[in-house]
Amino acid sequence: MRMLRIAGVGIEALAAHKLRTFLMMSGTLVGVAALTVVMAMGKGTERKIMERVENFGPRAIMLVAGGGKDVPGPDLTTTTLTLRDAEAIRQNIGGIEAIAPAAMQRHMPIKAGAAQTQAVIFACESNWHHAWDWYAQLGEGITDDDNAMLARVCVIGQTVREELFPDTDPVGQYLHVGNVRFKVKGVLQKRGTSPMGTDFDNRLLIPLTTGMRRLFNQDHLSYIRIKVADVSQLGAVTRDVRQLLHQRHRIGPAEEDDFRLISAEIIARFAAGSSRTLSILLAVLAGLSLLVGGVVLMNILLIAVKERTKEIGLRRAIGASQPDVFAQFLAESLTVTLWGMVVGVLVGWGLCTVLPRFTPMPLVISWESIALAAGAAVVVGTFFGIQPARRAARLNPVEALR
Amino acid sequence: MIELNDITRTYGNGAAATPVLKGISFTIDGGEYVAIMGTSGTGKSTLMNVLGLLDRASGGRYLLDGTDVTELDDKQLSRLRNKKLGFVFQQFHLLERTSARKNVLLPLIYAKEYPDDADERAQQALVTVGLADRVDYRPNELSGGQQQRVAIARALINDPELILADEPTGNLDRRSGLEVLDVFKRLHEQGRTILVVSHDQAVAEHANRVIVLEDGRVAEDRRVGQPRSARAELEQLKLEAQS
Repeated sequence: MRMLRIAGVGIEALAAHKLRTFLMMSGTLVGVAALTVVMAMGKGTERKIMERVENFGPRAIMLVAGGGKDVPGPDLTTTTLTLRDAEAIRQNIGGIEAIAPAAMQRHMPIKAGAAQTQAVIFACESNWHHAWDWYAQLGEGITDDDNAMLARVCVIGQTVREELFPDTDPVGQYLHVGNVRFKVKGVLQKRGTSPMGTDFDNRLLIPLTTGMRRLFNQDHLSYIRIKVADVSQLGAVTRDVRQLLHQRHRIGPAEEDDFRLISAEIIARFAAGSSRTLSILLAVLAGLSLLVGGVVLMNILLIAVKERTKEIGLRRAIGASQPDVFAQFLAESLTVTLWGMVVGVLVGWGLCTVLPRFTPMPLVISWESIALAAGAAVVVGTFFGIQPARRAARLNPVEALR
Repeated sequence: MIELNDITRTYGNGAAATPVLKGISFTIDGGEYVAIMGTSGTGKSTLMNVLGLLDRASGGRYLLDGTDVTELDDKQLSRLRNKKLGFVFQQFHLLERTSARKNVLLPLIYAKEYPDDADERAQQALVTVGLADRVDYRPNELSGGQQQRVAIARALINDPELILADEPTGNLDRRSGLEVLDVFKRLHEQGRTILVVSHDQAVAEHANRVIVLEDGRVAEDRRVGQPRSARAELEQLKLEAQS
């Protein structure tokens, strides 16, 4: 109770000097706001990575045509990846649960009646659905029979469905890809954003044979998706596939690969990359403003101690002990930083709801970020409040009263 | 109440040591009204600070209410200042922008228990000093004499054993000074122990006993047979103003 009364003295002093109090808390405010945004970015990025890895398939390896670095999809001009490669992998490498070769073309014009759109066309076999864990929600998927008969059937993604058949049941209807007419036999489940940030649902599946011979007129594949039986085998299977392809494509140790192997790990790294620099920048800003805010706070408090020397002397005379005076000034410092924290979290929160309208940054506010902000405020308030509070407590009452 | 035994106070040490109190001994009983006099530099302020537990004696023994305070630590001394002493300063030392009532209540913040009847007590203290109608005034809305009387009310709030006043009329005109001295006189009549430090002979003559300091020692310690009456002098002032 007594300590509360003493803390109340410090808080009353804050209420009496509003501008000064605002200056004292501004540093903490900016720091905590920045901290909240940084945390939200970290959390958002983490969630984005998890979503993308989940969407990519945690047990999947994509063997894509064309060399070079990391993600963006297959190079469609590379012709060296073939069905025979897929067959060789199937026969020689263990630990694989499903293998799905596919050929693709981007930005193909699609028409249905008056409606038209563009989508990615994937030509695939029946086990594509299993390899992707991605099945038809309406109608049915691509079957072995479709491939055997070079059937002109297709399964469309949700985005394509919205574009071409917004109000009707698309199953059984017809659409044109280029000049070729396809019958819609199914609609895929919704999948969301691809690891590359594109729309997974803006796609159209056709049988592999139909694609290679009727639509694309090509013998090579764009990618082979491999799904391992167990996550722990990802590394081993990746290594074996690379070795086998080096052999089959006759690639020497010094030569560049004409294929890439992409697994969840690379997807995660790719998803993290873009937001990292900004995160670091903001974290530095948050740290700096907390530090500068702390120094400003300390200086204003030191001036306050000087200005209130007589008051401190009087308080000592009427019964305040050194710890009492110390507590009064520390309470002042902590109150300021805690308010700075509250307003800072609110400002940070506000920024997190407004910023996504201007940038594609994923932001997720978490309780951890509020806890961290509170912790930072207490640390700043204590650390930078101690020196002024100590100086106030150590004033000689006789001299202070003079 | 107060027992000083060969109290010394020396500032600095070694060759630069300056003795200010050179062995002071006296006893003050409860209910006395004592003035400590002396010209500036005789050590009366230092003695006041030692008596008020704001400063420590360098040597000697000081018994306050039977307790040897020379051995106490900061916390214990603060506690005693809060409970047993009431200070009145030359410069009032009121908190600005704070009402008379809140100024009077100030010492209760540091009391162990905040009394339930705090507001009545503050009211009572302000009545005692004749400021019942100024409870919500701030210091800058009060005259010097009124401010000093608020300060006296503040000294009274914890019902102290001893009131210590350091040049309480030093910043006041004659009339306001007399009003303050009148308050002291009435408090004395109620049985309180009052110790006024002043360089002013006229102020000292209102007390019942005068201790004169000279060069850090007690030069004189006498009873005042017929103390001056602030009330009578105020009446006199009024008459002079009318004529």
